[in-house]
This record gives sequence, structure tokens and C-alpha cells, in this order.
Amino acid sequence: MSQNSIELRGVTRIYRRGGQDLRVLDELDLTMAGSTFYALMGPSGSGKTTLLNLVGGLDRADAGEVLVGGEDLTGLSDTELARWRADHVGFVFQGFNLLPVLTARENVELPLLLLPLGRRQRREQAERALEMVDLGDRMDHKPRELSGGQEQRVAIARAIATDPEVILADEPTGDLDRDTADAVLLLLQRLNRELGKTILMVTHDPQAAGYADRVIHLDKGKLGRIDDNRATAGRS
Amino acid sequence: MPFRLLFRSLFRHPIRALLTVGSVAIAVFLICMLHAVVTGLARTVDAAASNRLLVQSAVSLFVDLPLAYQGKMAAVPGVEAICKWQWFGGRYEQDKGGFFAQFGIDPETFFASYPEITLQEGSLEEFQKNRSACIVGKDLAAQYGWQLGQTVPIAGTIFTRTDGRPWEFTIAGIYQTSTPTIDQQTLYFQFEYLRQSLETGGAVGPDGVGVYMLRVQRGADPVAIQAAVDALFANGPQRVQTTTEAEFNRQFVSMLGDVPLLMQMVGGAVLFAIFFAVLNTMIMTGRERTRDIGVLKALGFPNGTAGMLLLAESLLLCGLGATLGVLAGLLLEPAFQAAVGAMLPGFGFAGDTLLLGAILALGIGVVAGLVPAFRASRLTPVQALREVG
Ligand SMILES: Nc1ncnc2c1ncn2[C@@H]1O[C@H](COP(=O)(O)OP(=O)(O)O)[C@@H](O)[C@H]1O
Ligand SMILES: [Mg+2]
Repeated sequence: MSQNSIELRGVTRIYRRGGQDLRVLDELDLTMAGSTFYALMGPSGSGKTTLLNLVGGLDRADAGEVLVGGEDLTGLSDTELARWRADHVGFVFQGFNLLPVLTARENVELPLLLLPLGRRQRREQAERALEMVDLGDRMDHKPRELSGGQEQRVAIARAIATDPEVILADEPTGDLDRDTADAVLLLLQRLNRELGKTILMVTHDPQAAGYADRVIHLDKGKLGRIDDNRATAGRS
Repeated sequence: MPFRLLFRSLFRHPIRALLTVGSVAIAVFLICMLHAVVTGLARTVDAAASNRLLVQSAVSLFVDLPLAYQGKMAAVPGVEAICKWQWFGGRYEQDKGGFFAQFGIDPETFFASYPEITLQEGSLEEFQKNRSACIVGKDLAAQYGWQLGQTVPIAGTIFTRTDGRPWEFTIAGIYQTSTPTIDQQTLYFQFEYLRQSLETGGAVGPDGVGVYMLRVQRGADPVAIQAAVDALFANGPQRVQTTTEAEFNRQFVSMLGDVPLLMQMVGGAVLFAIFFAVLNTMIMTGRERTRDIGVLKALGFPNGTAGMLLLAESLLLCGLGATLGVLAGLLLEPAFQAAVGAMLPGFGFAGDTLLLGAILALGIGVVAGLVPAFRASRLTPVQALREVG
């Protein structure tokens, strides 16, 4: 099992709503290989975001274990979890979630503040990340001065700036048009192929899922089939 | 802590930030002013000399004492000198809206009894020699551009001249004081001039003395003198009340009503209103930042960071307001002193007045910042990110 694999063992997540228990994830067992690009598909409300949040250490399971890169997140305190996120995962959200008052460069530098880096190193690392997403010429722009696709690329730069093993993306192309979406998806694919990042991307767009190596289907908190795009690549 | 984020966030809504800073500044300024009035009153009372006693009618400050009393009091052991004070209450015709006090006094004993008062220009001999001479405070002289030797016409209201013309006092000196509790905006003239005018029929008005100031000999017991003087006239014709200068001042101040309490209430109300204004701004800010808070947490910033940012923001807004308020106060202090100095010579910003304003503003900043900060640090990243911004 590789260093940056993801493993879920009997993971259950229950939300309590109006006195009723909602089992969003029900004793889920799932193993994802490291350095692989996964797409997570399923109908709305099937628990995709919930699963992603558990893997990213943003949320806690009610039962079961979540292991990322061999580390059991279940046993970590809130502070330890925050530290762990800073070191090991990058998030990309549907709504980009850049801080509006900061420039592209400053947004990308933000997570680097949590690493033991000097000012210069931080700046260089942020600029390198922005160049990787092809935004070297937009570093001093504020988010509202950028297009949606550019904003999402800044968000991806922010996610990779700390060089995490795992990138978690929740419908990253949900707010983008087809062409822009394709560029973002190609970028994610490149991060996986060239840098060996493990990527878990939630989407309900089959075309987007086509960029992933494997597609996990989730329905009503239960695991469905897992497609291997590489095996079928010749046919599409 | 991401300081750049803090400073950029501070002015994300410039108008709102400026309104908040402005209201804090006005509040701090107001509180400094109110506090300056209260401390001014207290200072006027406290700075009183212990070797000066004031003799007034036991009935009221507005009832005069007979002239003949002076000789009897001079015989009381321990009384070193006596200076008469008579309120003149005239109007300076050239400036009908303005007000300054005029007193008839005894030049021979006045300066010796009030070492705080010295002549900056002119001479004491000139003041003593010339019956209709007067001395004026340097602020007053500056206000009207008066020069030495100039004549100041004052229309009498209590004492009127029989020829119907205004009184005329020639400026023989300009005085300054070494303590803020004695104003530099009064006109002093010779009591003797007034007395002679009344005696010769040149003027009409009450012929007594408002207040006698007794200077206590070094080493003499003021309490014993007080008792002796009161006893002297216990059987009339006019009973007197002898008080220390401090007591006299306190009595004078209390004629204004319970000003300190009123000021404190107004100040408290101002603080209360401003607190809610700042709190409202900060709660609004905290809500708007929900998503940003979620992002910071998702990126791995510890729970406290988002809260600290909001708290720091609140402190900065209030600190900025406090600074502006204090600066405005310092800038406007001379103008206010000129306006109220005649009534309240002790008015002024002491260091503790400014400190009080600043501390109150920062206190508001802390409390108003803690409310959204507490919420921010308790929000889980998932809750915060789910909120549709
Ligand atoms: N904090 C919460 N409280 C109550 N119910 C929630 C909460 N978060 C999610 N849910 C519910 O859990 C289910 C799964 O949510 P989610 O994981 O966001 O689904 P998806 O991302 O697949 O659309 C939905 O029915 C949603 O309403
Ligand atoms: Mg979702």
C-alpha cells in the first residue's frame, strides 16, 4: 500500500435532524490507492461531500476509521487535525472560496503561513504554484478581477502550494462552463500524472469523471460499483 | 496570524469602517470633554489654598457684609491681611454676547494673598496709584486686543453711575496665573474707587462687601480663626460664615447642581450607545466572514485564528477611533478652555482623562470583538463552508 493511499473502514456518519437520524454514510468500506485520480459520483444528497470532508479531516465519523497515508484521523484532536490538514491535504471547492481581500499570490501564500518557511520561500513557492496553473501573469489580481476558471486555478494553486499528498475537490467544475471546466480537469489530471498526487474529486458530470482513473459510485450512503477508466480507455 | 488578511479585511467596507471609527472617535472626544469638566470642578476645589479663609454672610453669598467688619476682623489673632472682594457684574458694551467677571478688590493685600497671580505687564504701583485703574487677565486682554493704558468701558448693572455713563477702568497691568484653577479672564479694579463713587453720590448701589478674604498667618490655626470670626458677629447685625477656600469653592461648584453625576450619566449613555454600534458592526462582520472562517479552518489554521482576527479587527477599529478622538480633544482643548475658562478655570485634559478615553474605547473593542470571535472559533469548518455566502 502506497504512502498516500486512503482507507475507510466501516465508516458511518449520522446527522440528527428534527429528532430523526439520517444515516448519510452507512458502514462504508473503501480503499483508494495512492497517486490515483478518483472521481466520486452519485445523486445529490448521497453523501459525497460528507465522505470528502471525512477524508479531509474536516468532519468526524460517528463510527469506523479513516486512514490517510497510514495516519488514523479518528484519533486526532481538533488541533492535531488542523495541523494534519495543513501538512497533508489541499482542498478545492465548487465556489472557489478564495479570500476576496487578498490577491491571487496572497491567497496561495495563506496555507504556507502554517509551514516553517521564510518570507522569501513562501513567496517563491506561491509563485511557482501559480505558474504551474498558468497564472504567472495574474498574481497581483484580486479574485473579483479574475474569471471563474482563473479563480478556480488560483484555488488549485493554493491547494498544491504546500505540496500535499492528497487533493480533495468538491465539484470543482460545477460553476464553470465546458471549456473552462476541461482546462481545470486537465490541470488536475496533470497534477496526478506529473506530481503523483492522490486526487478525490466529487462530480455529477460524467464527462468530468472521464478525466479520472477510477470512478466510485455512491448511492444513499452505500458504495456502488467502481469503474476503471484505464481499462476502458481504448473503447471511448 | 495572517496580518495582511487582518489589515485588508479592516477596510473591506471602507464606509462602514469609517463610520465605526468615527463614532468611536466622537464618543472618546465627548467622554474626554465630560471628564475634563468633572476633573476641572474637582481641581478647582482641591487646588484651594489652606491659608485663605473666606467670610461671607451666613444668609447667602448674595447678601453683602458691612464695611465696618474689616477692622474688627483685623484684630482677630492670626489674621495677617484682609482683602475685600466685591462682585461688580458689569457688562462690556463692545461685546454684548461675551461675559467676563469683574471684582473690586484691595490692591494692597491682593497680590500678597494670591502669590499665584503675578503681573506680566504694567506695574503694581500704577494700579495702586490710579483710583480708576484695573488689571486684566492675559487671556482676556488677548481676546479683546487690549493694551496697557487703554480704557475699558463697563456698564454697571448692580452699581450704576448717576450721570448715566458707563464706568471706565484704565488698564494698569496684565496678570497671569501659575495655576489653572485661577482664571486669566477677570478684570480686577480698586474696591476703593467703587466705595468713593458711592459715598460722593457719583454712583448708586449696595454699599457693603460681598466677601472678605482673610490671610492666615503662618503657624496660626485656621480652624480657631474661623470660630473666632464667626463668634465675633454671632449677635449681628449681620451673622457671617467663615469657610476655607476649598469649602467656599465646593459650595460655589455645588450651586451648579450635581454636575459630576449628570456628566457621568451622559458619558455612560454615550458609551452604551457606542458599544452597541461597534458590537453590531462586529457581529455583522463576523457573519459575513463565515465562509472565510471556514476556508481558514479547512486550510489548517487553528480554531483560534479566525477569532483572533475578528478580535484584532475590533480592537483596531476602536483604537483608531480612540486615537482620533484624543487627537481631536488635544487640538480643540485651547478653544474649549477659552470658552469655559472663566467659569471653570480647572478645565483641561489631564493625562488620566486621555487614558480614560483610550481605555474605555479599547474595552469596547475587546468586548464587541469577543462576541463574533467566540462564534468564529466554535464554528466547525463544515458548518462554516456550508453556509451560503
Ligand atoms: N450538517 C448537516 N445536518 C443535517 N443534515 C446534513 C448535514 N450535512 C449534510 N446533511 C444531509 O446529508 C445528506 C448528504 O449530504 P452531502 O454529503 O452534502 O450530499 P452530496 O454532497 O452527495 O450532495 C443530505 O441529505 C444532506 O441534507
Ligand atoms: Mg455535495
